[in-house]
Formats: sequence, structure tokens, C-alpha cells
Amino acid sequence: MRRSSEIAESIRIAVESLRMNLLRSILTTAGVVVGVVLVVVMGWTIGGLDAVWEQAISIMGKDMLYIDKWSWSGGGNWRLMEARKDITLQQAQQLSSRMESAECVMPVVRLWSGSVVRGNTSLRCGILGTTNEYSRTSSAELSSGRFFSSMEDVHGSKVVVLGEGVAKGLFPGEDPIGQTIKIISEPYRIIGVIAKRGFLFMDFVDNQVVIPLESFRSTVGLFERSVSVGIKSGSERMLDIVRTEAIGHMRAIRNVPPGAIDDFSINETQAFDEQVKNIRIGIWIVGMGLTILAFVVGSIGIMNIMYVSVTERTKEIGVRKAIGARRSSILLQFLIESSLLCVIGALIAFPFAQLIVGSARFVAVDLLKQDWASVVSPVIPLDLLMIAVGVSIIVGLLAGLLPAIKASRLDPVEALRYEQ
Amino acid sequence: MSRPIIEISNLVKLYEMGGEEVYALRDVSLTIGSNEYVAIMGPSGSGKSTLMNMLGCLDTPTSGTYYFNGEDVREMTDDDLAEIRNREIGFVFQTFNLLPRATALQNVELPLVYSGVSKADRFDRASRALEQVSLTDRMTHRPNELSGGQRQRVAIARAIVTAPSIILADEPTGNLDTKTGQDIMALFRHLWEAGNTVILVTHEEDVARHARRIIRLRDGRVESDTVNPDA
Repeated sequence: MRRSSEIAESIRIAVESLRMNLLRSILTTAGVVVGVVLVVVMGWTIGGLDAVWEQAISIMGKDMLYIDKWSWSGGGNWRLMEARKDITLQQAQQLSSRMESAECVMPVVRLWSGSVVRGNTSLRCGILGTTNEYSRTSSAELSSGRFFSSMEDVHGSKVVVLGEGVAKGLFPGEDPIGQTIKIISEPYRIIGVIAKRGFLFMDFVDNQVVIPLESFRSTVGLFERSVSVGIKSGSERMLDIVRTEAIGHMRAIRNVPPGAIDDFSINETQAFDEQVKNIRIGIWIVGMGLTILAFVVGSIGIMNIMYVSVTERTKEIGVRKAIGARRSSILLQFLIESSLLCVIGALIAFPFAQLIVGSARFVAVDLLKQDWASVVSPVIPLDLLMIAVGVSIIVGLLAGLLPAIKASRLDPVEALRYEQ
Repeated sequence: MSRPIIEISNLVKLYEMGGEEVYALRDVSLTIGSNEYVAIMGPSGSGKSTLMNMLGCLDTPTSGTYYFNGEDVREMTDDDLAEIRNREIGFVFQTFNLLPRATALQNVELPLVYSGVSKADRFDRASRALEQVSLTDRMTHRPNELSGGQRQRVAIARAIVTAPSIILADEPTGNLDTKTGQDIMALFRHLWEAGNTVILVTHEEDVARHARRIIRLRDGRVESDTVNPDA
């Protein structure tokens, strides 16, 4: 009861005294303003990075594993991987028939750059040969038409599903379904178009065409081409079980002796998480360093002005003590004043931070036409604002502590006698 | 004599100033009972300010004993002293010492804030105190919008709002003109008649004249302690 009325009184006094010295108060908070802007922008950047990343890896599907000759993340011994034997279609099919825990398994073969021609226009793009199972991955969400069936697959029908980029390139403003294109001089009928999946560095997925594996074999050929085996686990929870099973089968299929290391790589989106974590830590360390610097400078300013405030109000402190304010009451009063000062700094900082965040996004999305940036939030999230307010209150309490202790220890007789 | 509120015996206060020891109070013993009207007099340097600080529990003695309402002040912690000042003592200063940015009402409410009285209660009691000093119509004014006499009356309202055991006034008319000073002294008399214990500290005979009992200090000692026949 006593405390709550003292706190209300302290807030009233603090507001009053800050209002009296408005300009001085605002200038004092400059360091805190910079600190809060940094905290907020840093938090927003990390949040944005996560959002972009989430979007990027969702293209491959978080529940997908790929067994390849090469490791995607670039880790491991390059020479060792080079020396590995190619994964053959036959091995892929063996694995497919042995796997029990996975939802589905599909071999994927790829020609990174092949020519695709419609009339007089031609372009080069990736050519992917796979089975009907591929349609069940998130990489194959269609915007129109259909995916090829298992029958078309087995018979090597000359049908093709276009990536969004290829469809736009060859059929600007037209419906490509039912039309015919030539893939490496063989005519294919277009049966579907995959929705836009490309994103940032994953852009290439839009610039490829997907054809049945058997058609790939006849049009492109499988000689000297390592097959990639896509395994859909069905859920992230199942990943570990599926991975373990797949490794076991693969080692058996490829006759890897016990104790020897795998002669293939397991690729999954998790592999990239490590890299993103490093980027996050990098931003965090740099941002934190700057933030701490700003807050240290800021709190020195606050501490200084609080000392001035205590000296200016020595007489007032004497009066308050004479009429019954205890040490803790005076302490509280000045701590509330200094933390309020910092909260004001935070409130001043928010519009600036929002301006920075808003402009950064505007420049990226509207001026530079970077579509990927549109997944980043255009406003500062509320929880970030709360954290910033919390941090500035703590800074205020720390910066105000010494002046407040000085005020609380003033001798009432001396303080009452004090004249400015 | 009525129930004693203040019992002081052999009070000594020693200051150290530049390595030299200075006795502000040498050996003071006195008792003040409830509903007394006392003036403490003396020239500057007589120790009357020091005595007032002791009586007001703003300072503690070097030696001797001080019982306030039967409690030993020397045993008290800082917080105990703050609480005694808050509940039992109402200060009135020469320079009024109101908070400049607070309204008359907020100034009067302040002691109640520190004793944790609820907001509604505070308002009731503060407005009643202002009524007693005839300032009901100035409640929302700030000190700079009030005359000297009005400011001192706000200060008196602040002193009485907690219904303290003693009202301790230090040269309460020192900054006021004669007429206003007389009004303030009439107010103290009125408060005394209403049952309050009033202690004035002053060097002016005209002010001391209002009190029923006059204690004169000289060189840190009680020189005389007499009943005032005029009052």
C-alpha cells in the first residue's frame, strides 16, 4: 500500500521534472535512443533472416532427404567425393524397393543445362528426369495442368512439366498447356506448369523442366550421370528414422565394408541450418557490440544528468526527508526518474527504428524488386518493442543507481540548509 | 503537568569543524508535555537550531537521552526516525519549503503519501487540513501563485495533516510582513487551543510572546525556562 502510493507519487514527480527540463532530458537520452534503434533493427534483421531462410528451405521441403554422390553444403573432402562411384539408377531403384519407413522414394537425374525450343525462341535450362513420386514433394506444386502419371513414367511418354520461369520465357502471356516444345530436338507435349518456387539463391528451381525418367533416358541418356535419390519422410519427426534406414540400405547396396565411411552423402535442409546459425551469430555479435557501446555511452549521460538533478533538488530531498520520506523512498524516486528517462529514449527511438526498417524493406522490395524480401515483416514486431523497453528500463536503473544512492544518503539537516 | 511528549536529559551535541570540536549543545534537559505552547529562544549560535533538529528527530545527539512519547530516539534507525517525523512531527519552516511544482493540495498530501494513505483518504484529509487554514479555494494553486502568508498556511496544513504529536515551527514568520505574521501567529494559537502541542523556535520577542512557556538558550545551555504571564 505504502509502496504503491510512493511509486505513483514518484512517477508524478519524475514526469513533472522531466517536463520542466524537456530539452535537457531529450538530449540526455540520445545514447539510449541509438542503443534502442540498434537493438530493434538487429532483432528485426535476425527475424527477417529467419523468415527468408524458412521460405528458402521450404522449397526443398523440410521432410526431404537426398542421397547424392556430392554433399550440398560443400563440407567434406572434395577429392574423396570425386573418387566416389556414381549412384546408378539401378541402386536407386533397389533403395526405393527396400525402404519401409519413408513415404516415398524417387530417383532424380539432372542435366544442368539443356536447350528447350519453341518455334524460333529457345532457351537453356535444367532438365530433370524423375518418377511420378516427385509430384508428392513440395518442389512440384502445380499452378496449372497436371503432373505425369506412373504409366507415362513407365512408358517414357514425351510429356513435360515446365518450371515457372521456363513457362514465362517461352509462352509470355499464353497458356502453355497442350502446346509442344522441343527438348534437345525431341518434341514434348506440355501437360503442366509448376507454381513459382524460386526464391533468392534457390532461383534455379524455376528454370527447369521435369520429364519422366524413362523419357530422360532416351532423350538425354543416363551414361556417366549420378542419380540423386529423393526420399520423402512424411514429417520432420520421421527424418531420423528414415535417415538411419536409408544409410543402412545404401551401404548394403553399394557394398561399403563395415567400419568404412559412407561413399555417398545425405543431403537435407538441416545441413544449411548450421550456416544460417553462423550468420545469425555474426549479426548478433556485431549488433550486440554496437548496442552495448551505445548503452554505455547513454548510461554515462543519464548518470551525469541524474547527479545534476540530485544536486539541484537537494533542498527538496531535505524537505521530503523532514516530512517522513525514508531512504528507500528517495532511492525509489530517483530510480524511477532515471528509468523513465530511458523509456522516453526508447519511445523516441521507435519511430526512427521503424523508419529504418520500413525504408530498408521498401528499397529491397519496391525499388530493387527483390521479391524474396517481401517475406520480411514491414513493421517492428511488438515483442521486440517490449524487449527494447525492458532493456532501457534496466539501463536506466543501472545508470540511476549511484545518483539515487547519493540522494537517499543525504543528511536531512544539511539538505534543508542547502541553498542554490 | 500533562503527559510528557518530549523528555530530554543532559543532551550534548558535538560537531567537528575543521578538526576542532564545537559544542552546539552542552547540557540540555527539558520536558515538554502534550498541548503545551512553547517558544525556544536565543541569539544565533545559542544552539536553538541544533535543538530544533534534535526535537524534530532530524539529527541524533552525541550523548544524553531523548525520549519521544516514551521511546528512546537514540536507539532508532534512519527509517524509524523517518517514520516518527512522518507521523508524530509537523514541520513549519521559515522559508515554507513547499515543493514548487506541486499544487497546494499535493503539497499537503505529501506526508500521507509517505505513510501509505489511500488516494481518496489523502484527498479527504488534505482538504480538511486546508480548510483549517482557510485555503479551500486555493487547493489547485502552485506555490508561485500564492502569497507568502498563503504559502505558510499551506505549510502549516502540511504539518497538521497527519495529526502529529507536535508542531515544530522554525521562525515561521521570519519571511513575512508584520500583518501576515500576526495572522500566522493567530493560526498557531488557534491550533494550540484546538489541543495541539506547538513548539516555536525564534529569536523574535514579538513571536515568542504568543507562547505560554519560553525557554531561552545561550551557548548551548538552557538559560531560563519560564511561564509567560502575557499569553
